[in-house]
Amino acid sequence: MTAPVLAARGITKTYRLGRQDIPVLRGVDLDVGEGEMVALLGASGAGKSTLLHVLGLLDPPTAGDVLFDGRPVHGLPIAERAQLRHAHTGFVFQFYHLIPELTALQNVMLAGMMTTSWLSWWKDRRAAKARAIAMLEHVGLADRMRHRPAELSGGERQRVAIARALLVGPKVILADEPTGNLDSKTAASVIELMFSLQAERRIAFLLVTHDESLASRCHRVVRMRDGVVVHG
Amino acid sequence: MTPGALVRIASRIRELATQRAYGPFLATRYLLTRPINLLGMLGVTLSVWALVVVVSLFSGVIVVIEEHVHAASADVSIGSLPAGTSWSKLHDAIADDPNVRGQAPRLVHFGMLNRPGVRPPPPILPGRGALHGGDQPFLFVLGVEPAAEANVTGFADWLRDPAIPADLRVADPDDPLRTIDSTATVLVGFERMKRDGLKRGDEVVLTSGRVYQAADGNKTLEQIPMTMRVAGAYKSMHGGFDGNNVFVDRATLNRALFADDPDTIQEVAVRLRDDAKLWETADRLQRTVARITDRGDGRAYGSVQTWRQKNATFLASIEHQRALLKIVLIVIMVVAAFLMLATLSMMVTEKTSDIGILTAMGGTPIGVMQIFLSCGLVITGLGIVTGIGTGCLTAVHLEEVRQFVLWTTGVDLFPLDVYNLDRVPSSIDPWWLLQVAGMALGTGFLVSALPAFRAARHDPLVSLRSS
Repeated sequence: MTAPVLAARGITKTYRLGRQDIPVLRGVDLDVGEGEMVALLGASGAGKSTLLHVLGLLDPPTAGDVLFDGRPVHGLPIAERAQLRHAHTGFVFQFYHLIPELTALQNVMLAGMMTTSWLSWWKDRRAAKARAIAMLEHVGLADRMRHRPAELSGGERQRVAIARALLVGPKVILADEPTGNLDSKTAASVIELMFSLQAERRIAFLLVTHDESLASRCHRVVRMRDGVVVHG
Repeated sequence: MTPGALVRIASRIRELATQRAYGPFLATRYLLTRPINLLGMLGVTLSVWALVVVVSLFSGVIVVIEEHVHAASADVSIGSLPAGTSWSKLHDAIADDPNVRGQAPRLVHFGMLNRPGVRPPPPILPGRGALHGGDQPFLFVLGVEPAAEANVTGFADWLRDPAIPADLRVADPDDPLRTIDSTATVLVGFERMKRDGLKRGDEVVLTSGRVYQAADGNKTLEQIPMTMRVAGAYKSMHGGFDGNNVFVDRATLNRALFADDPDTIQEVAVRLRDDAKLWETADRLQRTVARITDRGDGRAYGSVQTWRQKNATFLASIEHQRALLKIVLIVIMVVAAFLMLATLSMMVTEKTSDIGILTAMGGTPIGVMQIFLSCGLVITGLGIVTGIGTGCLTAVHLEEVRQFVLWTTGVDLFPLDVYNLDRVPSSIDPWWLLQVAGMALGTGFLVSALPAFRAARHDPLVSLRSS
């Protein structure tokens, strides 16, 4: 059996508020296999987003380990963690987080610039641009590439964010309520897009959601309550 | 420091040295989409421009003033000669020096010049007075031999300056100090002649004095008034010299002041063949003078000064003014730096929302810092290039700028007659340009580093959550 692409082992996370310690995660264990679609459900404050940030190496755990392809990655130097985050994981957020000064194409191309030196990127710029264009075409935005985020609808912005997350070919996408800010019709189209990409590219998805119907379509549902996994 | 910490520091330095592509890309986009950054650039441009233009102007003025001071002075002056120094012996010894082209003996005394029965005028030229000698009635009285003097300074040309009107000119430039109606004559600086309303042939009283030591050791000052006629005006390029010096015949002054020692000299003015050997010649002449004036009493007599040493206080005061001006102008750069700091800080505050997603995509704190540092350095760099470019252009065309301002507003920014100039001078010093660029770059780096550092320390999760 191959190692899960992403795993959490005994993750705890405690924030300090004044003199008080606030435990947010209390020993979470979780595996996400290759190409697996996992839904993470739970009430607000259950620790879903915190777990996502810890798994994405944005926030260090207080205790426990995060494993990428079976390799513990917590404790690596900043640059190496950034490199791993870039190559191994893609993020999709509820509020898209596109750079407003850049066009859709530039937002996607930006993902390819994160760990490449300026010189290397410049040498490879035509190919990089072609990859970004292909990715945008793939998510159905061929005619919106030159538009800035302010000129795009919510669904289009989320598609740009998905294209950006996919550009460097990550093994897992961490999506934090990707449809939480969209109307139902647009949300449905974005969900369809994610499922098709998962099937087509064998990318694992860890989806934080409140939507039971969306969760029911996933391979596995993990439920959290008060910082612990109660089902999954 | 632990080995682990050293490794981390080395890793950070290595990372800082490797600019990732997103840094310059985002920095460019941020700059292009925020016209307010132009303010910071304009501030740097303005301060660099001011430092280049004003210092080039002042340097030009210093070059011209040095030329004028040099033209009014002998290359080397030998003074502090002891009483009874034999002029003929000293003359022969100085003439033996291979770099001496000419020499002239002088008496140098103090005096006051006024019309008979009229007290010397009070100060009437404040401001310009210091430069033109108009704010005090005292003068240096130089007893000279005109023919010899013409060999060591521009003395002969000073009498023929076209700016001197006919009624103030000397009657015979080849013998300017010849008597008028059997009365000894005095040559007066052009500016002082104009100020005092003197004409050629006017009767004046040149009052000098000397100290007598009585048998009981008491010293008394004896006033020595000399009635003379004005021989005419002279005009060197150095207004300070013209205002403070009058020339009289050496023999006449000698009779009045040192009747018991007809061959007394107090100073020898020397012109050199090769200016490049000024200092070594001065050293050599110092040894020559010490040998000739040696009286076997163990004391050194005679002091040899180059024209720079003789005018050192005056030249240093101008240099001091330039230094003060630089300090004032650097303050403008500091103000510009604060302007840049404000615009960059605003940008960092606006862009904190981007920091979260950049980190999520694989960015690092140092990478984030590089974005904002790049913005600041680009603003600074453009400001420096524009400031130095426009500054040099303005410095080269300062006279045209002066004339334009004079034509449009009637304000003369730089009155040329104060400095005896025919156009506004400027001297662009490449070393100063480098210094200005270095200062601006250093300041720009500092004020960029502060907001960049703040951006790097920003917690990416805060911006991800706050949205």
